[in-house]
Amino acid sequence: MTGMAAPVIPRTDANLTEAARAFRDKTAVAGVGLTLGKFPERTALSLAIEAFKLALDDSGLKRDDIDGLITLSFGSDYDRFLEATGLNVRYAHQGWTHGRFISPTLQFAAMAVGMGMAKAVAIVNGKRGKAFGQPTDIEMWRQGLGPHGESPAYGALRPAFGAAISAQRYFHLYGGSNDDLGPICVAFRKHARMNPIAVRRDPMTLDNYRRSPWIVAPLRLLDCCQINDGGSCIIVTSAERARDCRKTPALISGMQGVHAGPDYHNLALPGLGVAQQNVYNYTPSADDLYSYRMAGITHKDVNALITYDAFSPLVLFALERFGFCGPGEAREFVKNGRIELGGELPVNTSGGLLSEGHLSGWNLLIEAVRQTRGECGERQVKNAEVVQYGCFLGESLIFRRAS
Amino acid sequence: MKPSMQRIDEATGRYLPVIYPEELPYWEALKQRRLELQRCKSCAKVWYPIGPACPHCLGLEFDWSLMSGRGIIHNFVVYHKAWTPWLEKRVPYAVIQVELEEGPRLTTNLLNCPVDKICIGMRVEAAFEDVTDEITLLQFQPNTG
Repeated sequence: MTGMAAPVIPRTDANLTEAARAFRDKTAVAGVGLTLGKFPERTALSLAIEAFKLALDDSGLKRDDIDGLITLSFGSDYDRFLEATGLNVRYAHQGWTHGRFISPTLQFAAMAVGMGMAKAVAIVNGKRGKAFGQPTDIEMWRQGLGPHGESPAYGALRPAFGAAISAQRYFHLYGGSNDDLGPICVAFRKHARMNPIAVRRDPMTLDNYRRSPWIVAPLRLLDCCQINDGGSCIIVTSAERARDCRKTPALISGMQGVHAGPDYHNLALPGLGVAQQNVYNYTPSADDLYSYRMAGITHKDVNALITYDAFSPLVLFALERFGFCGPGEAREFVKNGRIELGGELPVNTSGGLLSEGHLSGWNLLIEAVRQTRGECGERQVKNAEVVQYGCFLGESLIFRRAS
Repeated sequence: MKPSMQRIDEATGRYLPVIYPEELPYWEALKQRRLELQRCKSCAKVWYPIGPACPHCLGLEFDWSLMSGRGIIHNFVVYHKAWTPWLEKRVPYAVIQVELEEGPRLTTNLLNCPVDKICIGMRVEAAFEDVTDEITLLQFQPNTG
């Protein structure tokens, strides 16, 4: 971890496919653009275009260097964005907006570049916190349960439901209570106070946390992120081309997808017994740690962890998901500054969704890139050679600073 | 009974369940005060949520099977924030996940029990709440028997 010697990277691994071995460190993030805040007078499209221009400036690439575009739903659709920016591409794709699909989207971009289907892919997102003419709320009524376990007729509303019911099972199985979540929220707020664009920057103590009202017990208000407006763009290209861009490339070293199915409830750690999940003490298998193998590292080489934290319990789940600690140990792991800047494993150095702001997670990925580049100023993790974006559902990206 | 896409009861403001076509036997049984779920003709297991195939063995043949209605509270949360005007008069209210004797876990509310008395492991039994002339909602209540 921080301060340790650079890891020795095995360049061959018999368990990796030929393509995976060849892929490691061959694509990179070359440009990022981000806005966060309240822009009630603007559309998702206008926020997306602003972020696109910021990312082009950041990379030094021109509009017409971009030949791939990926967007997700509930923002501006890919075709409208291209029409509005006068851009023609040979690789366009659009997916479903949920935090869990953020890193897979960046992975698609890397694979498109790696396979030669595009030379530079822009992943663009514009977001209105309060959806304007868009159908996000209807998802709760889909057949079965909603995408976070919601069931509107029973008042099981909003994503907070899925996180609260997962936290309850975690505390039931492993002990502890809501009080164990406070250190996470306080740590991320400290980080946000070093981030000029963070939307929540008031000082927060554990006492402030404990006085915050219940929303869906066992979660308090401060366990939940807020919703805001903003735009983001991430440009992925080949490592070779990225070296000619303005900033230090953040090489894409390893990656793995979202684990899904009845054992992976959408806001839970496996084994908790939420909805139809089996009940067991989760420890990661080799497949659960594939992105480390692909990158030729272990979790001990990770200098900073960036993780999806729309709700504070998700941080506990991510730490156990990747073996940073054992089953039920995360609630102690997060205490005493260990996940703060200067600690053993700095987590969500921008303040996370809990304090920087909610942009479906795109802002988290951008923080991972900026930490990898070493451009985070006061909140920079020293010697951040390897930064992981890894989340409780197993999706992961390993970024490595280009030498 | 017919499929329904009506999401809100205009008279009360209460959120309603959408009634999907394959779910009609479930809703018709509830109206008769019976809890019936799908039981696989191949592996004899019961599943939930309702769906066209058995998630245990992928069998497509099933019967609607009467459940005991008995289970335990496997999980619960307590809502203190009301996200709709109808819920304002009901907070704090609990949402529970009940593990039925037959295996599946169902997300419902708990009737006839103060929220501070709810605990994981508590024995509960099915209850039935008529929410409109058409729709009866499955609920649970403490099993004192």
